[in-house]
Amino acid sequence: MNLTDSQIERYSRHIILEQVGLAGQEALGRAKVLIVGAGGLGSPAALYLGAAGVGTLGIADADAVDLSNLQRQVIHHTADVGRPKVESAAERIRALNPEVTVRAYPERVRAANALAIMRDYDFVIDGTDSFAAKFLLNDAAYFAGKPLSHAGILRFEGQLTTIRPGASACYRCLFREPPPAGAVPSCSQAGVLGVLAGVVGCLQATEAIKYILGLGELLTDSLLTYDALAMRFRKVAVRRSPDCPLCGDRPSIKELVDPEEAACELRP
Amino acid sequence: MNRLEKCGLRVLDSVRRDVQAFRATVQQYLEGKLDATRFKVKRVPMGIYEQRRGGFMVRVRIGAGVALPGQLRALAKIAADHGAAHLTTRQDVQLHDVPVEAIPGIFEQLLAVNLTGRGGGGNTVRNVSASPRAGVDPAEVFDVRPHAIATAEYLLDSPGAFNLPRKYKLAFSGTAADDAFASVADLGFFAREQDGQPGFRVFAGGGLGGSPKPAIVLEEWVPAEDAPLVAEALRRLFDRRGDRGNKHAARLRFVVEKMGEQEFRDEYFRDKAKVAAEHPIFPAPRPFPSPWRPELAKQARELRPGELSPLIEPERRVGFYTVRINPRLGLVNPEAMLRIADLAEANGEGLVRFTQRQEGLLCGIPGGLVGETVASLRKLGKDIFDERRPSVVACAGAATCQLGLCLSRGLATAIEDRFTARADGLLPAIRISGCPNSCGNHQVAKLGLAGKARRVQGRLIPYYDVMVDGRLGAEGARLAQRIGSLPAKRVFDFLERAATDGEAGFSCQNLHALIDEYQTLPETVPEDWFRDWGSDQPFSLAGRGPGECGAGTFDLVRVDIETAKGGLAAARAAELPPPRRDQALAEAAVAIMRALLPVFGLEPGTRREVYRDFQARLVDPGWVDASGAELAAALQDWQAGDRQSLAELEPALTALIERVEELFASLDASLRFQIKPLIRQPETAAAASASKDAATATHDLRGVACPLNFVRAKVALESRPVGSELEFLLDPGAPANNVPASFAEQGQQVLSMAAEDGWHRLRVRRVK
Repeated sequence: MNLTDSQIERYSRHIILEQVGLAGQEALGRAKVLIVGAGGLGSPAALYLGAAGVGTLGIADADAVDLSNLQRQVIHHTADVGRPKVESAAERIRALNPEVTVRAYPERVRAANALAIMRDYDFVIDGTDSFAAKFLLNDAAYFAGKPLSHAGILRFEGQLTTIRPGASACYRCLFREPPPAGAVPSCSQAGVLGVLAGVVGCLQATEAIKYILGLGELLTDSLLTYDALAMRFRKVAVRRSPDCPLCGDRPSIKELVDPEEAACELRP
Repeated sequence: MNRLEKCGLRVLDSVRRDVQAFRATVQQYLEGKLDATRFKVKRVPMGIYEQRRGGFMVRVRIGAGVALPGQLRALAKIAADHGAAHLTTRQDVQLHDVPVEAIPGIFEQLLAVNLTGRGGGGNTVRNVSASPRAGVDPAEVFDVRPHAIATAEYLLDSPGAFNLPRKYKLAFSGTAADDAFASVADLGFFAREQDGQPGFRVFAGGGLGGSPKPAIVLEEWVPAEDAPLVAEALRRLFDRRGDRGNKHAARLRFVVEKMGEQEFRDEYFRDKAKVAAEHPIFPAPRPFPSPWRPELAKQARELRPGELSPLIEPERRVGFYTVRINPRLGLVNPEAMLRIADLAEANGEGLVRFTQRQEGLLCGIPGGLVGETVASLRKLGKDIFDERRPSVVACAGAATCQLGLCLSRGLATAIEDRFTARADGLLPAIRISGCPNSCGNHQVAKLGLAGKARRVQGRLIPYYDVMVDGRLGAEGARLAQRIGSLPAKRVFDFLERAATDGEAGFSCQNLHALIDEYQTLPETVPEDWFRDWGSDQPFSLAGRGPGECGAGTFDLVRVDIETAKGGLAAARAAELPPPRRDQALAEAAVAIMRALLPVFGLEPGTRREVYRDFQARLVDPGWVDASGAELAAALQDWQAGDRQSLAELEPALTALIERVEELFASLDASLRFQIKPLIRQPETAAAASASKDAATATHDLRGVACPLNFVRAKVALESRPVGSELEFLLDPGAPANNVPASFAEQGQQVLSMAAEDGWHRLRVRRVK
């Protein structure tokens, strides 16, 4: 891959970095990242990854833009209300960086299609808004062998971890199964600080870029929590569980199934 | 008739598009938006030549020499409306005296009957000729026409067919006697069966004209279906090796001479293997239907000896005959063309064929209809069909051709008139060219004449070289030997004298012996000898011009290069006052900047457009170095009055002319430069890493601000393997401080940093 003059200029602040350089920028150009959910987390992740020159971005989301999304889902604009989210997201990424190939999946990621969608990507970002979806993505990433950045946000707090299936703790190692219905606040009851989604989504993008470039330490076997009110980050060590129903010694989950839809987390 | 229509050469869609686009070119020329030179470059590859006496000639290619009656009728209509028709020595039909404004309409009429002039002239794949009696000749091995047509269609469908170093002539002969001229073609095929399989013995590198050469054997035998493969492989070799810089030494025969036969063959076989490996899809040969129509079979009968004549020849199927139509000098009138078309349909195979001797043929005539056919032809007059006229082939000569020296047609007519009256039939086949170029094919004649001029007593006399005993054939051609030269007016007396010795009179020995007497000039040269045949004016070379035959895009380039060199030479002449010198330099600079733009399909009009296109097409991609851009800038300053003198630009201009000539010499038929750009752009930096010779390369980063200069330098360095060394030119100040510091900070090895004339040169080695 030969960078053109304008690409060199566009990515000059990356290329200057000793740890990125020409080779790193070219690696970004070859990379393919799937973002599931073009919402609060997916918006900043998609914009920054597009800006960074990640060659191919997949965006999966079945929803249309709602006016109440715009408080935090910064990839969509007021005029987009009513449009499919994948459409406005793809348009915005292309406007920011026409060199990025954007593939839109205007569908909900389910057991039936998850593996097929993931197959072609190097890294998956979970920007979904329900426990069911998060468990499904965790399981799918395991079966597909794709690294996954998991994140969740609620009110003023967020959490994230990076999973290298089979090599580091998975979401089920930490939380066996989706919480029973009613145990978590319903979407309408809870609220979320818009900028919190931005912070956490950007952390997810950072993980994706580090993974592509092979730089630093990933947030594997760690759970990072962020309390926006206390302005406190805490990194908690976690460990693969031998009893994990997915990646443990005697797994009970042997194939990908749709978990029961529990009460959703707050729409991030 | 439908089956016949499917067999002839098709006008390919690509050719059809080119022809239709040409309409606009003519329009531009008529509106004065296209100058004569540029128009020439576009019209000649369309088969359109300007005539010496004004007006234009359109050469229509008749693939393998076979035409449908409908095609002949269309040609007759055009000839009746605009000019005259002429049968050539390469099975083409030429339309003469055509006014330029009629050309688009004529091309439409031609396209409607599947004919075109595309490739009729210029540096193109010319008409692919074939034995004129293919399919009926008792002596032939097999019918070569389907292979000739398939090969032509394959070659003509690629743009490479129209920008060759020079013309590329192909011929297919079905007989060992070579009635197709395959043994003197650029590429000649002789039908030959091997183990029951049809195939060809292949000849290459032949050609008449100046420095004529018989073709050499390229391959002893190839299967018949490989003909397009052979033709494409040789086309590529020609494309690559042909000398575009000198069109007088560009034909394939000069490539053979330069490389030597063995190396030429070796390279050809490499090209052939390469083409074969690409698995090209060749058009399937389309066999012609039987020339002996069943409905005419009941009229078939053998003719008695008394019913035969030199123009009536038996065919392979007993009881059928070929009737040869021998229009004087190949000139046919519309009325005759229509009658011939009718006869072909009514009494023959339904095709009209053209020969390499400016004749037409009607084939598949049953014996019972020969008498009626001949009677019809006789009614067209002796200038169209005359069984007693000797066979004299003559090119157009000085009458219409810009290259012609002598009035070859005048001499031919005189000889014909004199010898037609005599029933002795002694005269051998004579071929006359009005100049040393060989349109009359004098070099392969039994008796050949080639026009020239000779100055005697301070005045010019039209003269002919006399050549004897040329031969064609599957064992190789032999060129005629020159035995002497005669004033044009004496040629006639010389032939007359030879004829008095009977049949032996035209033997080589006898002609040798006789010529001395006729080529010695008397003390007082008769006044008549200073006039050519058919002219009452003293002989002169007035009106002679350069040939148009090799005109193409390359001509435009050549004209500008010559202009630039001329301007530079003029500027160097010390006596020129500075303003005139600057003007000469400026004109030279604009010419050289413009020279290569036609290669990119650009013909900028204004100087501003020239600068813009030159920058975009030649400077930016690195074909010429940055001093070219400086030249353009300086010129603009000078034009604006911001610069006093252009004198100091002379070295840059000289260098640019040299570079442009180098690029020009490297062009191939697809108009691509075969040499590498001088400067590697950042886009190609990664590609540069592949080149091993770039152990140290210099990157000019002057004018690039921080930090982009470091980014560019870093990209360049990281595009090379560890251990590579690079040089960078940097502006003084921040760039000179920051770039080496940044490299050092990132662990690369700064080898040296030196201040030069207004900039700094940094050397860095990639160590990680």
